[in-house]
Amino acid sequence: MLDLFAQTGVNALYAAAYLSLVAVGLVLIFGVMGILNFAHGELFMIGGYVVVALYAGYQLPFAVVVAVALVFVGLVGLLMEWSMFRPLRDNPLGGLVASIGFLMILQALVSMQFGVRMAHVPPATQSVIELADGVRLPAQRAIVILAAIVLLGALWYFLKRTRFGWALRASAQDREAAALQGISINQTARIAMFIGAALAGVAGALTAPLVSVNPHMGHSVIVSVFIVIIVGGVGSLEGALVAAVVYAFLHTVITTFWDGVIADIAGLLLMLLVLIVRPTGFFGTKDRA
Amino acid sequence: MIASLLRSGVSRRTFLASAAAGAGALAGLLPRPLRAQDKTVKIGFLAPLTGPVAAWGKPGLDGCQIWAEWINAGGGINIGGEPHRVEFVAYDDEDDPAKARTGATQLIRENDVKFVMMLGGNSWPGVQPVAERTGMLFSTLLPSDLSPSTATLIAPAEVHPIYNVTAVDWLAANRPELKTAVICAQDDALGLPSVATYLAAFEAAGIEMLDEPLLFDPATTDFAPVVTRMLSKKPQIVCLDTCYSDYVHPICEQLFQQGFKGQILSCTLDFYDQVIAKTSAEFMEGTLFQFPDFDDPALNADFINFQKPNEFFAEYNRRHPGQWGAVSWEYASVMDLWKAAVEKAGSAEPDAVKAAMTEGGEGLHAFGKARWWGKDLFGIDNALVGNWPVVAIEGGKARIKEFRSIPDWYDKHGELMKKHMAAYNQMWDQRG
Repeated sequence: MLDLFAQTGVNALYAAAYLSLVAVGLVLIFGVMGILNFAHGELFMIGGYVVVALYAGYQLPFAVVVAVALVFVGLVGLLMEWSMFRPLRDNPLGGLVASIGFLMILQALVSMQFGVRMAHVPPATQSVIELADGVRLPAQRAIVILAAIVLLGALWYFLKRTRFGWALRASAQDREAAALQGISINQTARIAMFIGAALAGVAGALTAPLVSVNPHMGHSVIVSVFIVIIVGGVGSLEGALVAAVVYAFLHTVITTFWDGVIADIAGLLLMLLVLIVRPTGFFGTKDRA
Repeated sequence: MIASLLRSGVSRRTFLASAAAGAGALAGLLPRPLRAQDKTVKIGFLAPLTGPVAAWGKPGLDGCQIWAEWINAGGGINIGGEPHRVEFVAYDDEDDPAKARTGATQLIRENDVKFVMMLGGNSWPGVQPVAERTGMLFSTLLPSDLSPSTATLIAPAEVHPIYNVTAVDWLAANRPELKTAVICAQDDALGLPSVATYLAAFEAAGIEMLDEPLLFDPATTDFAPVVTRMLSKKPQIVCLDTCYSDYVHPICEQLFQQGFKGQILSCTLDFYDQVIAKTSAEFMEGTLFQFPDFDDPALNADFINFQKPNEFFAEYNRRHPGQWGAVSWEYASVMDLWKAAVEKAGSAEPDAVKAAMTEGGEGLHAFGKARWWGKDLFGIDNALVGNWPVVAIEGGKARIKEFRSIPDWYDKHGELMKKHMAAYNQMWDQRG
């Protein structure tokens, strides 16, 4: 029984890792720009397809392709910022609707280029780390966990210790006051969009050999991510991180010991409970709720 | 050559007249290719062409296009003494009942189709009112759609999920040392009747279920917890039910990574070469499923009722490399039955075709003689049931191990099937 608990913990750690990468990116965009990017799941999907094209297609080294995915999806984020979110900066609802349209465009482009069927991605490694008897951590999953720790650590350092990070946090707290201090709102929006998109892209790339890569793969991820950011507190990076871990452990434990369908219901109940008891989420503030 | 003939005394006029007569005679002997002015009979193809279930729609349409080209090149379909070109009109229902309803209406009203082929399952509830109102003949790959109120719905190609009993039956006969199993499935119209079928088959075979069937949401992306739960019971057999290929692949990969060493059993194993690439040929060796590659030598037997299966497989792979799947041949097989019935009836009208197709209660199924069956389970004898192949991975390639009879199994264990179907609310009088 102990090995089952331990294996469940290992499984949950992986789920928490990739969910937190996607959720933190989405929260960063919302915090700085005030726009809920519905196409964020599709940025995750684009990261997966970069791997399909360059790793499965052209057999480039997996690590190189993941780095390319990070940059490429970050650039797609910049395109979204420039073409949609900047013109609609004072219209959050317009930004949301535009992101739904962009989501459909991305799905259609990928379907036209790669087809609608699940794409095949060979494993980057088939190594398995035997943590204990009956407790196995596939190396591919370990890579996702390590990458999440490194990337989120780097993001924390960037936000807390660099001038750009301070500017980003100032914009998130009060955009007008930040602008009065000489902080460029356009510049901070670009940085937030690039980082947020890149985090989703890198999550999609890292998990591509482990999941079914298809044009609709963003849907199931974005549902979980929305639960995470509502539970964590809309706009709170720390909240997103903590909620991703809580949600991942809750979902994994219930799937393992009861049922996958009950686990989905439990996730939604968690969100409902938080909205009733603490509408701002774990770490949210009233002005963001 | 021609010049030497003319030099030898044959006049130009004689030569041309002989050549024309010869060509005419030859044309009379060969099947007549259809000309543009020939009549056309349209067939509706209403199935998921995009989305997660597209693998059970799009490859079928691709197979039908080859079928239509071959039939048209061979003279088309003879309806009441007149040759008709066959044309497929496709509508992507995205496995959604509302879209399927719109598609069925459009195909019948605007495209004037004479027959509509569907995947069925999730989409059928949307189409059923259209079928009742118009009397159009529909086919489904999933006889669990059948009920006494679906008089114009037939299941002539596959009897999903009933044929799944054949692999379990084969396993019990050939690997009697395997006595324990677990099963997982997506919680939907495809997964649940299949779970009931496997439970009946395992019970009939004396194989103990170590756990309740593990149902997961169709939106699941991470299958590690599902596999961890199943392997915690230490089963000898892991059954993947009728999981879509989007689930089968990551589940197999997880079974491999979490160290499973036993028998894998699945309804389908589409694109199994990719699963082998993600795991290993040794790991997948002996995995049992139900859908053969059509280059299998066993399909050249006399009782097979499918035109040139090996050539069909080769042509399909030439046009769509790496895309062969469970349904690539099935819709074409339905068309074989429909064509035979239309030519017998001398009409493409739905009533006449169905009467000709079901006359005498027997028919020729792709895998041999079969009978119209189903009243016991579906409340109506609209499923064509006979033998079904049991397929195993051997040396990285799918090979038919044996054809086993579904009716023979049902005659012995029908009550078990009904018990488990009823437990999952899958009997025709339980479904909403």
